[in-house]
Amino acid sequence: MRLLVLLWSLGPLLWQLRTSLLRPEALVAPLLEGNPWTLANYQLVLSGDPPFWRYLGNSTLVGLATTLLTLLLAVPCAYGLQKLRGPLRWGVGLALVGAAMFPTVLLFLALLEIARSFGLANNLLTLSLPYTALSLPLAVLLLRAAFADLPGELEDAARLEGLDLGQRLQHVLLPLLAPALASTAILVFLASWNEYAIALTWISRNDLLTLPIAIARIGGGSVFTIPYGAFAAATVLGSLPLLLLVLLAQRSIVSGLTRGAVKG
Amino acid sequence: MRTRTSSLLLMLPALVLLATVFLYPLLRYGWLSLQASSVLTGLLPVPNGGANWLRLLDDARFWTDAGQTLRFALCSVALELVGGLALALLLHRPLRGRGPLRALTLLPWALPTTVMALGWRWILNDPHGPINGAIRSLGGTSYGFLSTPATTWFFVVLADVWKTMPFVALLLLAGLQTIPADLEEALRLEGASRVQILRRLTLPLLLPYLSLALLFRLAQSLGVFDLIQVLSGGGPAGTTESLALYAYLNAMRFLDFGYASTVMLATFLLLVVALGGGWLLLRRGGIARATERPA
Amino acid sequence: MAARPFFTSLRRQPVVVGLLVVLLLVLLPAFGLKGIQAIAAEPVPIRVLMPAPLADAVAGPVARFNASGSGVAVQVIRGPLDTETISDLAISSLLLGEAPFDLLLVDVSWLAKYVAAGWFLPLERWFGPEILAAMEPGARLGNGLGDHLWRMPLTGDTGLLYWRSDLMDRPPRDTAELVAISRDLQRRGRVRWGYLWQGRQYEGLSCVMVEMLQAFGARWWDDATATTVLDSPGAVAAASWLDALLRDGVSPKAVANFAENDALQSFAAGEAAFLRNWPYAWREIEKGEGPVTGKVGVTTMVGAPGEQGGGTLGTWGLSLIKGSPHPEEAVAVIRWLTGPVVQRQLALEQGYAPTWSRLYDDPELQRRAPLLAVQRQALQHPQLRPLTPAYAQLSDLLARQVNGMLTGQDGPGQTMATAQRQSQQVLRSVAGTPDRAPRIP
Repeated sequence: MRLLVLLWSLGPLLWQLRTSLLRPEALVAPLLEGNPWTLANYQLVLSGDPPFWRYLGNSTLVGLATTLLTLLLAVPCAYGLQKLRGPLRWGVGLALVGAAMFPTVLLFLALLEIARSFGLANNLLTLSLPYTALSLPLAVLLLRAAFADLPGELEDAARLEGLDLGQRLQHVLLPLLAPALASTAILVFLASWNEYAIALTWISRNDLLTLPIAIARIGGGSVFTIPYGAFAAATVLGSLPLLLLVLLAQRSIVSGLTRGAVKG
Repeated sequence: MRTRTSSLLLMLPALVLLATVFLYPLLRYGWLSLQASSVLTGLLPVPNGGANWLRLLDDARFWTDAGQTLRFALCSVALELVGGLALALLLHRPLRGRGPLRALTLLPWALPTTVMALGWRWILNDPHGPINGAIRSLGGTSYGFLSTPATTWFFVVLADVWKTMPFVALLLLAGLQTIPADLEEALRLEGASRVQILRRLTLPLLLPYLSLALLFRLAQSLGVFDLIQVLSGGGPAGTTESLALYAYLNAMRFLDFGYASTVMLATFLLLVVALGGGWLLLRRGGIARATERPA
Repeated sequence: MAARPFFTSLRRQPVVVGLLVVLLLVLLPAFGLKGIQAIAAEPVPIRVLMPAPLADAVAGPVARFNASGSGVAVQVIRGPLDTETISDLAISSLLLGEAPFDLLLVDVSWLAKYVAAGWFLPLERWFGPEILAAMEPGARLGNGLGDHLWRMPLTGDTGLLYWRSDLMDRPPRDTAELVAISRDLQRRGRVRWGYLWQGRQYEGLSCVMVEMLQAFGARWWDDATATTVLDSPGAVAAASWLDALLRDGVSPKAVANFAENDALQSFAAGEAAFLRNWPYAWREIEKGEGPVTGKVGVTTMVGAPGEQGGGTLGTWGLSLIKGSPHPEEAVAVIRWLTGPVVQRQLALEQGYAPTWSRLYDDPELQRRAPLLAVQRQALQHPQLRPLTPAYAQLSDLLARQVNGMLTGQDGPGQTMATAQRQSQQVLRSVAGTPDRAPRIP
């Protein structure tokens, strides 16, 4: 049973791994002689113009900027929302749920216009602005749930000691929220790493492409011209960081979503 | 009153950014959908008296795509819920190596859609992909999976299920962890079978999570774009084209921003109707029953 | 409750460690691998975006040009093979206002759209009327709009009619003969199908429709009123003729799902008497050892009895992107790439039709490119697809309607009436009002 599940989840990925290690001739017909295995596909991808590292670097940069900005905005927002009472709290909460569900692709045209009129296109840091907005709803909902879990007396005690809001957050609340912050950060990073529609319309310069676009562009041609070996190598390289991240942070992701789902 | 003001101040930066990215586009589409804004107007808006909406009503491609998108969403979400539930039940059991198993099953969800869409294209390649390789080694002839409408559609759904099932499983896993173990134990002592426990205890308590997953996935899959753009390009002959892809083509290929806005707004409205309908059904049906039960 | 410093507690999280590891993994090589690039007095770079097959076809000449020491370095960007995909790529750059290339190889069907969007610079400053006058009539079409020249043609391809010389002595002269010969051959069991063409719902079907409309004396687009005229009796007759091909079994039902390659494969396998395709098909048929190799003739597209037929123009040409930092050098590249040397090579190696009249008179080329005479003949009566910026939408809906007819959804009259009505709606929605519709600015 476990094996079956793993086969279903990993089979397509393992096939990519195999493809990436085969010589192009060996992909089309079984080789009669010689060693079919090679690292040439990786060399090809890494020595491309620009080299593949560039795309990984671009995606990492956007991901980190987005994660940082999201947390900076989401923490105060979640705190404020948790303190808020009355219909406004309910309304904002509902709007956040709606925004979290919203299919991103429907936003690209208006965002493209914004990028054009304010000169935000072809810039990895400005790209993290819409990304932050896309991640904010979920981040706020998760963090609000985490704030709600904290015992109220804790903050009251800190207030009595004369700590102002900034100090309370920094010394009392955030340390306790660290697990929630970490799991939120991971989800935000993943979302930004994988975003497609907006990167597709905001970035046209080849050296600034993020990973999903760069990979899609390798395959954007016809069925006949895709260099599948090189493409598979790109897939494997692009997946490795995520594999590491998911393996390390599995517990965090599950617990983060658990908490969010219960309260959200 | 003071907490209220300071709360709002704390929320302000986030809310402003959210309004710019989510609310402004909808208002902008509403306005643009009443304008001609295309190459013929120099990409500048010129009022055209609702001609975009009249065109939409008679646009065979829009309505075909709407049907296709709905069919895609219903099929893939249904499969994801069933598969995700099974996966969640499996991952919830105390197994050896559960942590790595969870992480590895989660991997498809964590990877960029476009990456695996191209991976699927290679797997389905005619004639060099592994599936056609297997067919040929069994004595058959290679099949153009991505040049036949029915198989293309099937594999688009399959690829979507493959990718998002882990996400649904994760949400349901979260739900499973809220069910107290002693309740299950009590039922088992009463002599209830596994299926009975599932039907009488697990499913009712999971219903809020199932509904959440259903609504969330329905919204996302009604806006499906990158998977289809990369895997099939909407083809063959538009049989797998989604509404979002059509809107994208109107903007980026036809340079017709007025009509693209109309299609996008119409897609959004259809989505609201579909989700609203789904929500009402859920409320009339399951959730009411589930909430009456003591948790 | 001790107030733990925020960062100490974070450090215990494997997640953060994980993020940092990822960052290191990714960024270290990115900086490490960055070599120091030699800086020399480099020639002016001129970047040209082309679909992959044409980029490959001109690779040899481009290398020679760069080696000639002209002070210009041509960089050909190998775009996707698919015509639409390469246009998407160009548009996404141009929309953002930063074109990463100086020259674009433009298909005749995109020109009006790009011109209306204001993305090209006019070329008449460098290429006067005497230059186009040295080209075949068909090759001159589809390059100018309004009072400007926007494109220098590189190829002069048109749709052609392929026929089996082992099954008949001479090609048909009109549509009626084509059907009569087909049915006679089919009845005698000499061949399975009569006529193969592109009926799938895509641009290829629009090209077929352009030819059939011409064949029956009808038009798609009326320049004087700047609108479509798809519900004319001739247009309905054209649609009826295609419809009848399927109903009478002259063409297989599968034609409704045929693109160029499907039709070519079936014809090359000896399954049909006639094929509609582009010039490249000839080389595909002749290069193998297929059942029809050496048994195929090529002629111009037939019309209905008493009408002049004509093939759809499918030419490529180079346009200059507005905002190119080196227009003069870019024009020099246009001049050379569209010049006789490159065109000669394209004709010899790839079978593309040249645009220069004198290449058609070249005896050596005539000997080595057997299609040359037919290609020249076809360029005397070529058919342009509507030169309106809204062409893509109009083509999409016509192909959709006609494909619907081929798969039995509607009759010809109803099909063309719907296509006409929807075209009007598109024009109204795109242009504001019908009166303001498709005039080129």
